[in-house]
Amino acid sequence: MTWQIFKFDLKFHFRSPLFYILFVLFFLFTFGAVASDAITAGGSLGNINRNAPFVIMQLLLVMSTIFGVITATAYVANAVHRDFELNTDSLFFSSPVKKSQYLAGRFLAAFTMVALVHTGVVFAIMLGSKMPWVDQAHVGPFVLKPYLFSYFVLILPNLLLFSAIFFAVAALTRSLLWTYVSVAAFYVAYIVTRILIAFNVENRTLKSLSDPFALTPFGLDTRYWTVFEKNSKLLALNGAFLYNRILWLSVAVVLLAITFVKFRMQVASAGGGRRKAEPAEPIERIPLALPEVTRRFDLGAAWQQYRSIVRIECSAILRSIPFFVILMLAVINIALGAALGQTIFGTSVYPLTHLMVEAITNGFVFFVLIIATFYAGEIVWRERSIKLNEVNDAMPAPTWTMWGGKLTALIVMLYATLGVAVLTTVIVQLSKGYTHLEPMLYLQGVFMVDGMDVLLFAVLMFFAQIVTNNKYVGYLFAVAYIISTIALNAMHFEHRLYQVFNLPDIRYSDMNGFGHYLSQHLWFMLYWTLFAGVLLQIGHLLWARGTETAFAMRRRIARQRFNGRALATTTVLLASFAASGCYIFYNTNVLNQYRTTDQLEKVQAETEKLYKKYERLPQPRITDAQATVDIYPEKRAVEARGSYTMVNKTGAPIRDLYVTMNPDVDAFTCTVPGASIVSNDRKHGFTIYRFAQPMQPGATLQISYTTTIRNRGFQNQFRDNTVVENGTFVNNFALCPHLGYSGQGELQDPVKRKKNGLAPVIRMAKIDDKAAVMNSELSREADWINLDTTVSTSPDQMALAPGYLQKEWSENGRRYFHYKTTSPILPFWSYLSARYQVKRAMWKDIPIEIYYDAKHPFNVDRMIYSVQKSLDYYTANFSPYQHKQVRILEFPNYSQFAQSFPNTIPWSESIGFIADLRDKDSIDYVFYVGAHEVGHQWWAHQVCGGDVQGATMLTETMAQYSALMVMQKEYGREKMRKFLKYELDRYLSGRGGELVAEMPLMLVENQPYIHYRKGSLVMYALQDQIGEDRVNAALREFIRKHAFGGPPYPTTKDLVAEFRAVTPPEKQAMIDDLFETITLFDNKTTEAKSTQRADGKYVVTVTVESKKYRSSDRGAETYVPLHDMIDIGVLGPSKNKNNDNVLLIERKLITQPTMTFEMVVDKKPAKAGIDPLNILVDRNPDDNTKTVE
Amino acid sequence: MSNELRIEGLSKTYPNGVRALQDVTLTIPTGMFGLLGPNGAGKSTLMRTIATLQEADSGSITLGDLDVLREKDAVRRILGYLPQEFGVYPRISAEAMLDHFAVLKGITNKRERREVVSALLRRTNLYEARKQSLGTYSGGMRQRFGIAQALLGNPQLIIVDEPTAGLDPGERVRFHNLLAEIGENVVVILSTHIVEDVSDLCSSMAIINGGRLLMTGEPLQSIRDLDGKVWKKMIAKEDLDDYQKNYAVISTKRITGRTLIHVWGEQQPDPSFEPVSTSLEDVYFSTLDKSAKGEEQAA
Repeated sequence: MTWQIFKFDLKFHFRSPLFYILFVLFFLFTFGAVASDAITAGGSLGNINRNAPFVIMQLLLVMSTIFGVITATAYVANAVHRDFELNTDSLFFSSPVKKSQYLAGRFLAAFTMVALVHTGVVFAIMLGSKMPWVDQAHVGPFVLKPYLFSYFVLILPNLLLFSAIFFAVAALTRSLLWTYVSVAAFYVAYIVTRILIAFNVENRTLKSLSDPFALTPFGLDTRYWTVFEKNSKLLALNGAFLYNRILWLSVAVVLLAITFVKFRMQVASAGGGRRKAEPAEPIERIPLALPEVTRRFDLGAAWQQYRSIVRIECSAILRSIPFFVILMLAVINIALGAALGQTIFGTSVYPLTHLMVEAITNGFVFFVLIIATFYAGEIVWRERSIKLNEVNDAMPAPTWTMWGGKLTALIVMLYATLGVAVLTTVIVQLSKGYTHLEPMLYLQGVFMVDGMDVLLFAVLMFFAQIVTNNKYVGYLFAVAYIISTIALNAMHFEHRLYQVFNLPDIRYSDMNGFGHYLSQHLWFMLYWTLFAGVLLQIGHLLWARGTETAFAMRRRIARQRFNGRALATTTVLLASFAASGCYIFYNTNVLNQYRTTDQLEKVQAETEKLYKKYERLPQPRITDAQATVDIYPEKRAVEARGSYTMVNKTGAPIRDLYVTMNPDVDAFTCTVPGASIVSNDRKHGFTIYRFAQPMQPGATLQISYTTTIRNRGFQNQFRDNTVVENGTFVNNFALCPHLGYSGQGELQDPVKRKKNGLAPVIRMAKIDDKAAVMNSELSREADWINLDTTVSTSPDQMALAPGYLQKEWSENGRRYFHYKTTSPILPFWSYLSARYQVKRAMWKDIPIEIYYDAKHPFNVDRMIYSVQKSLDYYTANFSPYQHKQVRILEFPNYSQFAQSFPNTIPWSESIGFIADLRDKDSIDYVFYVGAHEVGHQWWAHQVCGGDVQGATMLTETMAQYSALMVMQKEYGREKMRKFLKYELDRYLSGRGGELVAEMPLMLVENQPYIHYRKGSLVMYALQDQIGEDRVNAALREFIRKHAFGGPPYPTTKDLVAEFRAVTPPEKQAMIDDLFETITLFDNKTTEAKSTQRADGKYVVTVTVESKKYRSSDRGAETYVPLHDMIDIGVLGPSKNKNNDNVLLIERKLITQPTMTFEMVVDKKPAKAGIDPLNILVDRNPDDNTKTVE
Repeated sequence: MSNELRIEGLSKTYPNGVRALQDVTLTIPTGMFGLLGPNGAGKSTLMRTIATLQEADSGSITLGDLDVLREKDAVRRILGYLPQEFGVYPRISAEAMLDHFAVLKGITNKRERREVVSALLRRTNLYEARKQSLGTYSGGMRQRFGIAQALLGNPQLIIVDEPTAGLDPGERVRFHNLLAEIGENVVVILSTHIVEDVSDLCSSMAIINGGRLLMTGEPLQSIRDLDGKVWKKMIAKEDLDDYQKNYAVISTKRITGRTLIHVWGEQQPDPSFEPVSTSLEDVYFSTLDKSAKGEEQAA
């Protein structure tokens, strides 16, 4: 009998469209991710094969997590409810079917369908990776095992669990509503417990076990997998992961058992309105005589009817449970998002209102859109679903009041949810003791910007429900719409004139407000609002009033409704829509150039193809730069006039001069005396001049130029935020011409390069490239230069550039500043202009100035302190400071970095200025960033490497080291571990995302995870092993030899040689490990015991395992024999997990994979183990210590 | 306004091919009008078409000067409609819901609305339960609520589709009284498959089946027309087939193990048959029977 029911049900499921819709959805979504570069699931895959086991596992897990629960619920709930809904339950239950057979058949059929739907993912990966256009270099051989493993081990247990849970809920509650409510509750519970566990549970096994989706064990195990591992390894079915599978399978079985026992085989008693008659409740025998009433059918009455409908629909939404469930989910999400916020090194920022608005946009609006989709269906179908439609539709209220009232109610409720969001974030702000609430910003950011997004989307969903006249097709339309918005961009149909209801991104900066984004946004808002009006007019015509469903009939009704007023409204709406569209087009395509991202990439690629051949041809070198720059902030315009003095430093005459200029500027002229133009390619910004008389060796030449940047009107998508109303930050690369082919704008992404017919990767020049070291890392057109620049701006702003202020004056209602350098600088400078507050301080005789926005005074003193401490350390240990001033300048959050120019450090408002450092235990990254940037005054601005492998180690790694030492001096050695743990984590996960090849530190090819993250670890380990003084001695020597030197410029070989010179012979091998190879450890403590001696001291015995290996550039590992000095230590109990209480650390020579040590300590030990402070690069730093038994 | 409702040549075919109405021509005078027919006869289609909820393929409906099929808004203003299928918002009180309907019916004055709502709730004996949410109402209470909303705004055209289906006998009687009271000056169309509803209440009636109008007239007259032509006999169950072959059996009823048959005949078929005092039920069944036979012959 079970078999019969199973077969019957399978047939039923296969007849229903649901299976095909879901299967196609699963297939296409995955196929897109695998077979195209347009859709990327979790970033570019890079060297990871498109059918790598890792990808297969990840895609199946992600798809089953996002869609699996809903799919499972749809099927198992349907399996139970179908009988109740179609009132066939009595048929089934009265026939001789046993309960267990009935349930088993039903469940098995449903579960089979759920499992089959997910095979769409499997087939999509198999097929997708075989598509002819997919680069076969990134497709591994077909192996069945990863598919089988992922499908049967990873997701089938998940799906069985979900099916069991919601089968139980559906069978026991017999309510579709409660079943779906429980789905929402399940997700809420899942997210909340994951967050709680993430923050409160250290134990990885517990973390892994408690995740029914198995995402945690997957994430933890694969966190640091290299490309090589991702291409070859499967998750090991043992340990926590195995227990996770067993645990949740058991839960599924238990739940099913409970369902089978508790389920009652009886006809549902509820439902069916008129089944029972009431016992006599007599209708009173009083005369009918109803009171006389006046009835009105004018506009006033219609308005009253409309309001009554709004009221009744609002209360219907308010009284429905899913609304509150989704809202609850959203509130939790946003409360967490707002409370935790963006953290850098675990330190959070002040809950500024614009960050709260951002949290709402990113973490709340999605839920509101779900509410909009769901309730658009509910509200349009409400009367029909409860069978009140005939009564309602026969009422004499105008049709517009009916749909208008419903739509208004929907929008009112959506806005109410936004109100709840604001309330939530305000509570977060207040709870953090932050009281600057900025109600206007909430109004604009949440109710206008987010509100319009929501409103337009709601209109679209409402319209879809009306037009399709089928609730589920309407919902499907929502999915199709979202996919289409992604697809349009992916196919580079990027103009927002046809991306329906997709308003441009708007960015807010405390410095610049909504700035230039505002008018653009408002125009698109108007444009699409008018379009929404057109849709509603169509919706009005098609609104289902009455019981006709055939489209021909609805068309006939629509014709009846299309009267003169409808015609007039439609005409006015369409005309205004077209007019606003024309104005937008004028701005985006006439005043500005509309180019899609692929067109821009194409231009970049063309530049490289056309002109890279000139890269190594000798050019004269700039020795002096002079520029007058006028900034007009309110017009977002800049005019620059400047000149370069240059010298032919080569030994041969130079015939041609190549001038490169950013092609996006509005106007550019250049005068080269004694030369004529051979070619002038404005599109690619490359001009070739030919001297009438070739420039002789040692000859000097001055060229002059003018540049104009005008930002007129608005663009489809703002690509440049350097010149703005308050907070201009523009550098010489954008504003001034360059000599020779610069390579600045070359495409980096291998996928994009390939698409444009370029070699997939540009590698840096080899470290031994003698020609390349003739250029510094920063420039190919100059060595060390002098800069003399005058910058002017509006009278309420201050304008700054590197160099010393020579003179400041006002003229023609503008402010002028004249800056001049007094020691040579690299040709890298910038101009900033804003309404600044200034805080001044001194370090010895060096003035320190912080230019900041009035809204961000929080950490200005901290920055000053950081500069002072840095100057202390660097002048004492490296060399004197070459400038006579340090300035830090705030710029808007359009970019998030801090950057060091000569004596000038522009610093984004989003990092540091708003960090909340009130908790003294948190990492003071303001202090760190300050020290790093000041460090660059030495590492880049005193010594700059040649443009070859390892160059960024000389700048970034050394700046990191400098900052680490300043921090260590300030906070002590114990606190460094917390910082270094972040660095280790980011290095290890950075390896997994490597697109090309992981290089050893000294050959780093501008790879941030190596030159910053590994750099920190390596340099900290080096000074830990050989001593800070020795390292600093080596650095002093390096600076002495190379400061302001070049060409040729130094390389990491020179620096590593200095390190070797100060390293004792027995530790020379360590230099190989740290700088010349990719060496990792896997240290682990397997046993830690202690006994108390008679004298009260403790004897601690630890057994440790140690492995050391070298990795290839793709992560293939080879083990190497151990012969290393590694810390063995005992830690006492500590209050704070990041502040270790070191009882004893001894450095031991480790030569065997397993070794046991005995140590004696005075106090009671808590933990003991190997490398307890995580000095080494360790694949799994968490198991280094163990609690002492 | 006491105008008769004229239906002329009304036809409707659904997209699935079902011919719900076929050339129906009918005049409905002021007063109670019974529309009788089995389930699926086309009654509801006709009702919904008059109630502006459905389009007709061809034909016309006029109420006095009013073109019902075109001037929907005007029709809705004088309409009271209780459809066959009728649900309620579960989480709202009867009073609030009725107040909302009153607004939709154009009763804009708040005081008047309160009075009429309260009067209707009293009249339908729901006043005690007016604050209760409609979701908790029993079937009978819901039906009475449905009647209350249909009577809002003194409708001139009242359409009630199978209104007594869920009511117990006592309640049905009271409902009939209520309808009879209002039905004096306005057009009331009562669609039902229960013959007694019509015989108790209606001054005129029509029988439809298969989308066709089979007969129209006054119940009393049609009973009189059939007088002396219907005969009854108690027979054994096994003999039923024979009788159905040989006589025009219009209805059968099981009584204590035996079967009572009514047979149509100009004369007494044979002495074992006894004359019957004709009821509307006989009219109804003989009409259906004749039309079914007619169909068979046509086929």
